[in-house]
Amino acid sequence: MERTLANFIQVLRNAEVRVSPAETLDAMTALELVGYADRTFLKNSLALVLPKTVDEKVAYDAAFDQFFRFEEVNNKALQNDPNRSGDESDQEGDEQQGEGNGEGGGGSAAETDPANGKRKSKSKQKGKQKPNNLQDEEEEEADLGPGPMTEAKSELGKLLMANSRVELAVRMAQAGEAVNVKGIQIFTQKGLYARRMMDAMGLSELNEEIGDLGEARQVPARRLGQELKRRREWLREEVRDYVERQFLLHADVSGKRLREELLRTVKLSNVEHRSFRLIQEIVYKMAKRLATMHARRKKVFKRGALNVPRTLRRNMQYDGSIFDLHWKSVKIDRPKVFAICDVSGSVANYARFMLMFLYSLEEVMPKVRSFAFSSDLAEVTELFERNDLEDAINKTLHEYSGGSTDYGQALLDFKRMCLDDVDNRTTIIILGDARNNYGENRQLILKEMYDRAKRVIWLNPESKNAWNAGDSVMRTYGAYCHQVEECNSLMHLERVVGNLLKQASA
Amino acid sequence: MPDISNITQSVAAIKAAFEEHRYICSDQIATAVYLAFHLRKPVLIEGPPGVGKTELAKTTAELFALPLIRLQCYEGLDEAKAIYEWKYGKQLLYTQVLKETLEEVLQGAKGFKQSVARLHEFGDIFFSEEFLEPRPLLKALKEKDGCVLLIDEVDKSDHEFESLLLEILSDFQVSIPEIGTVKAVAEPPMVFLTSNNTREISDALKRRCLHLYIPFPDLELEQKIIHARVPEIPPELRRQMVAFIQELRELDLKKVPAISETIDWARTLLLLHADSLDPDLVRDTLNVILKFQEDIVNVQGEISAITNKVKNAKR
Repeated sequence: MERTLANFIQVLRNAEVRVSPAETLDAMTALELVGYADRTFLKNSLALVLPKTVDEKVAYDAAFDQFFRFEEVNNKALQNDPNRSGDESDQEGDEQQGEGNGEGGGGSAAETDPANGKRKSKSKQKGKQKPNNLQDEEEEEADLGPGPMTEAKSELGKLLMANSRVELAVRMAQAGEAVNVKGIQIFTQKGLYARRMMDAMGLSELNEEIGDLGEARQVPARRLGQELKRRREWLREEVRDYVERQFLLHADVSGKRLREELLRTVKLSNVEHRSFRLIQEIVYKMAKRLATMHARRKKVFKRGALNVPRTLRRNMQYDGSIFDLHWKSVKIDRPKVFAICDVSGSVANYARFMLMFLYSLEEVMPKVRSFAFSSDLAEVTELFERNDLEDAINKTLHEYSGGSTDYGQALLDFKRMCLDDVDNRTTIIILGDARNNYGENRQLILKEMYDRAKRVIWLNPESKNAWNAGDSVMRTYGAYCHQVEECNSLMHLERVVGNLLKQASA
Repeated sequence: MPDISNITQSVAAIKAAFEEHRYICSDQIATAVYLAFHLRKPVLIEGPPGVGKTELAKTTAELFALPLIRLQCYEGLDEAKAIYEWKYGKQLLYTQVLKETLEEVLQGAKGFKQSVARLHEFGDIFFSEEFLEPRPLLKALKEKDGCVLLIDEVDKSDHEFESLLLEILSDFQVSIPEIGTVKAVAEPPMVFLTSNNTREISDALKRRCLHLYIPFPDLELEQKIIHARVPEIPPELRRQMVAFIQELRELDLKKVPAISETIDWARTLLLLHADSLDPDLVRDTLNVILKFQEDIVNVQGEISAITNKVKNAKR
């Protein structure tokens, strides 16, 4: 029992459900109460104990279905369970038959049958498909017909001929352990692991035997040879299935994690289109983390030292007896952010992620106004509010990314539209490569913004040594920014926005 | 007095018992109550507003015939309001009264030491349970036959308050510096916490709780709920209105209608003697289910389409 549960929890952790040791213990007690008998009941119960957010519940559901579809047969813990040791072991016997003979009976037993419970699903699937085929074939056997067969000699052959699926599954699991199938990383390894497992189960011996039998003279021996061949194919299929499942459980996620790690540092312009969904997920996760980190600071202003002058002043009306105390409070203002994004072709990809990031931070940054430009500047705040993120970004890019870059015009537009709204609590983030097509710079408008705003941050997606080369006028603009940063991966983005929040609450 | 041991025997029994109390619940919810009862773990209930989170706690209290103690959380809630407070007024009054007797007590005492010694004989009366005003959490621990403790909208309280809850949630005890640790008198209470997810609940708190997420119910379950709550409504209308609401939830609204709104709507329609939905009727009663003008305006255009769809759907 513990073993299965621990394995399951490992799978959950892989699927990004955070399970603490304390929760594992809880799950254990819950399991004692609930037992393995009723699958839905078990699922519902563990769903209460292990996953603790809605996202985790979804992941949990998927993991549970995957994991408990194939219940590990070598789990002897069922018998250890004090309450139901008796009938469980009976059942095991039943199931062996049901599975081994594949006589639909055990397999398709009613869903609600509490006795069959969790094992049911497996015997249902497997019991129906594979062994049935096996039997059909057995009956269709043409060339030699049914008849007496000699005994198989190799270990694996004996197992195969004994029709005991449970023992086979045990062997399979052992072989899986032996070749460490849980270590599987990428899908191309599936064949390799399947072969290794077959080897570990004693394939070579079996092959030898089949070869010998094929040359035998007696009909029963040849018949056995054919039969073994068929069953070998079937076993191969089974093993492949097993590896596939292990892959889904263990590798799929770690592969994903690997990709995520990679994506965090890769240059955003190099991100392939198909990874966008994943990136969006990462962005969301990062933003969420930043948000929770900074949401906590919100309450600090309530504490603080005694504000003596104010207290004295306020208590004058009570003849100077001081009982109405006033405290020094730390006001934390949320950053007001104006994001100006160059969405012309060269930086469009960065703008996409930048906007994504800012909007995912809504919780802690309620006042984000975004502007997009290539030649003319337009506010896209409302567009973002009305549409979901992806649509909004696509619309923005579609509508505004047409013209050739003109920073001068954009600054002019900004001045006209909302320079008056910029005050000393505003942070202006400009995202762009400062490649102005040799147009007019109008850096004095930027200076004006610089004077009025709390901070002006320029994020340049180009790497530093490309700045100021060609039509890039980063140096001119850089003079009127509080901070100029290279920003072309999610890591950079996270750092910049994190700093922004930190400064806002300091 | 209901037979508690009977009810808690299985999930199905709990479900049935809830149904008797007109609370229709899914397996998941019944399982939560089952585990909460047997493992004595608090349940943290999350879900959109109006799906019956608070109602679950109330019904559980009814079911087990236990008193319900409710603590409504809000920003600035602290231990004085949640756990205990000293009865300052009473303490002050008693000191005044005792001032006079104090002289008698101290009569003949020589020197400071002796006076203090004599004062000590009084003991720490002023900081005893006599002068303690129990607030909901302490009250719940002191309840003799156990109780159901509902900590409502935990997400509205401060972070610090969450940490305050940890002791009571994991060990069912409260530490009061002057008195010591107060443990649950008898049965530890069944604790329900609800949250609307306006902010993330800390991991520490989550770890100590069973986590139950109640989503909006599906068509069938919601019909059952309406049937239980507003039995008078004709079945055809019930089917139509529930289907209508389910359609609304698919739309992009500021606030989607919850079960409580469906119930209100059912009552309204009943009052208007309606026996089937039609676009005009819906338009007139839309403000029962939608609480934002913006949403109402947005939905207006879709009303006839949805009504027709709902009406023509297979019964």
